[in-house]
Amino acid sequence: MKSTFKLGAAEHAIELSRAAHGYRLHLGDQVIPFEMESCGAHRARLRIAGHTHDLRLITAGDDVFIQLDGEAHALRYVDPLAHFEATARGGAADTIRAPMPGSIVAVAVQEGEAVTRGQALLVMESMKMETTITAPRDGVIATVAYEKGQTFERDALLVALQPAADAEGGAA
Amino acid sequence: MNDSLHHWPFDTVLVANRGEIAARVLRTVQRLGLKGAIVHHAADRDTLGVRMADIAIEITGETPVAAYLDGAQIIAAARQCGAGAIHPGYGFLSENAKFAAAVEAAGLRFIGPTPQQIHAMGDKVRARNAVEKAGFPVAPSAIEDDDPATFVARARAVGAPLLIKPSAGGGGKGMHIVRDLSQLEGEIAHARSEAQRYFGDGRLFAERYVEHPHHIEVQVLGDGQGHVIHVMERECSVQRRFQKIVEETPSPSLTAEKRREICETAAGIAHSIDYRNAGTVEFIFGAGGEFYFLEMNTRLQVEHPISEEITGIDLVEQQLWVAAGEKLALTQADVKPHGHAIECRIYAEDAARNYTPTTGPLLVLQPPAGEHVRWDSGVVEGGAVTAAFDPMIAKLIVWAEDRDATISRMAAALRDTVLLGCKTNIAFLRRLVTSQPFHANEIHTSWLDGHPEVAQEPALPPDTLHALLAAAALSTKPLRDTANAVPDLHAAIGAWRN
Repeated sequence: MKSTFKLGAAEHAIELSRAAHGYRLHLGDQVIPFEMESCGAHRARLRIAGHTHDLRLITAGDDVFIQLDGEAHALRYVDPLAHFEATARGGAADTIRAPMPGSIVAVAVQEGEAVTRGQALLVMESMKMETTITAPRDGVIATVAYEKGQTFERDALLVALQPAADAEGGAA
Repeated sequence: MNDSLHHWPFDTVLVANRGEIAARVLRTVQRLGLKGAIVHHAADRDTLGVRMADIAIEITGETPVAAYLDGAQIIAAARQCGAGAIHPGYGFLSENAKFAAAVEAAGLRFIGPTPQQIHAMGDKVRARNAVEKAGFPVAPSAIEDDDPATFVARARAVGAPLLIKPSAGGGGKGMHIVRDLSQLEGEIAHARSEAQRYFGDGRLFAERYVEHPHHIEVQVLGDGQGHVIHVMERECSVQRRFQKIVEETPSPSLTAEKRREICETAAGIAHSIDYRNAGTVEFIFGAGGEFYFLEMNTRLQVEHPISEEITGIDLVEQQLWVAAGEKLALTQADVKPHGHAIECRIYAEDAARNYTPTTGPLLVLQPPAGEHVRWDSGVVEGGAVTAAFDPMIAKLIVWAEDRDATISRMAAALRDTVLLGCKTNIAFLRRLVTSQPFHANEIHTSWLDGHPEVAQEPALPPDTLHALLAAAALSTKPLRDTANAVPDLHAAIGAWRN
């Protein structure tokens, strides 16, 4: 079964299998044998393609963090089921998530309020700059998750619109 | 020298700050035999400063930042733990004249300048006027306060390119460059809104912007008793969005003659107000060798360690002696710079995505080791970077005999730094300090903003990608379990066939 890892914006579909010694990485039509052994806390030695690398490696949930040749990399294992759901759901933008960590400077709308596409919903501040978050489509505000002055992390839910069908029903 | 314990008029120093600077100050306080106390918000419980301190007092606030801005609570904490002096670090209340006055009114020592000196230098316009009056060079400018009604017209008369800044500002916040004067009024409105929000003060001033400027600043020390020295200059031209990320000393932009001129100008400015404390006089340095006073920071500076590394002077120790009422024990002749030092600021940020801040846990943290490698940080393994504070994780400072050797040592130290769990700018810093433009000192203060391609991550070589995917696959339980189940499956199939 193929599994997917995200590395930056790119996704890589791979398979892992056992070899006589160690394992094999299957990537496209390439089969790359390797061996890896743990050597202490978050340390591992990897032999691949004629090279030996001393790695630092730690996992947290689906994230794998690896220090390789003096540089840190973050890979994310994409659970096959979650991957399927995300592609099946399509692009309905009912939620607006934080593009970066920051704080709320101003909130321009309330829950239950009707908004039009492009209307300013809130102003956030990050990197010492202000960014205005606008409505991705016409709709009705379902949730405003933060108040002025509060801070949030990347990917935090900022504003949710009522699902498109509900909003139409409400307007009728 | 004055180093016996009974000379101190206080035996406990309270650090009213957090992060790397809190730990940095505590290190010197404790080395001098004094007790170190710290205030901290609950969000900072797992930080190095709190672990190091002899006494830690929790303070509260509507937000974590608000706690560190609550002067009354901090003074109460100092009283509670018997501290006789407060070190404000940088940022927060370090350049707040009212706080400095309140500390002194409470019978405590403020480890900083007098409230009057903070007041004089804290407002850019007042500072600029005072410096100009004392006969030192400033850039052509228009000051809103002189006559608010004609500000826009006077700003236009200075001519493009113009830099609009908040009068009460600092740290690059709310600054706007105007190259097209037709956009002047819009940019002024934008700058005013930001100034109002960051500093609670919307007053602005505009000054001639020097194209391709280098930022050169001079470390000064004064005792408020007539003695001022400089502790050499720092080149801080590697900036993104007006914020420094790499600093070095000595500056590769200066001739020996220019160095003497700029350092003596800085000492002269500090002397003109009989400055007390460590401070930094910042200049804009143009390609033609001209330099203008920019501002004076009346506090310890983030990048102070590089000055310490080339002179052997502990600037925090000097701050403490001066605050204790001692005269400066150092003369200008005692400042003997040797070698070269570079600092890299390690930030939780994604350089390739326009340097956006990142957050995350610090799952594995292993600072680089080695001679002349200094790691100033306030975080510990197991801690986290959150959106509550500035995303600076650490400062990496290295020293070597000359600039080339320092660059090599810095590149190696960045390579040896292990920090997993949170995206950082470490790899970007390594590419930057080993780049040809850095080597040739071609980087001016707006260079990085004009070269976003430098921050892009190079494509991974196939061998590297394969190594990462192999290691990640084997470390992910569902994949490992599936792969390991296969031989067993063969065995099971074999049994079933029988």
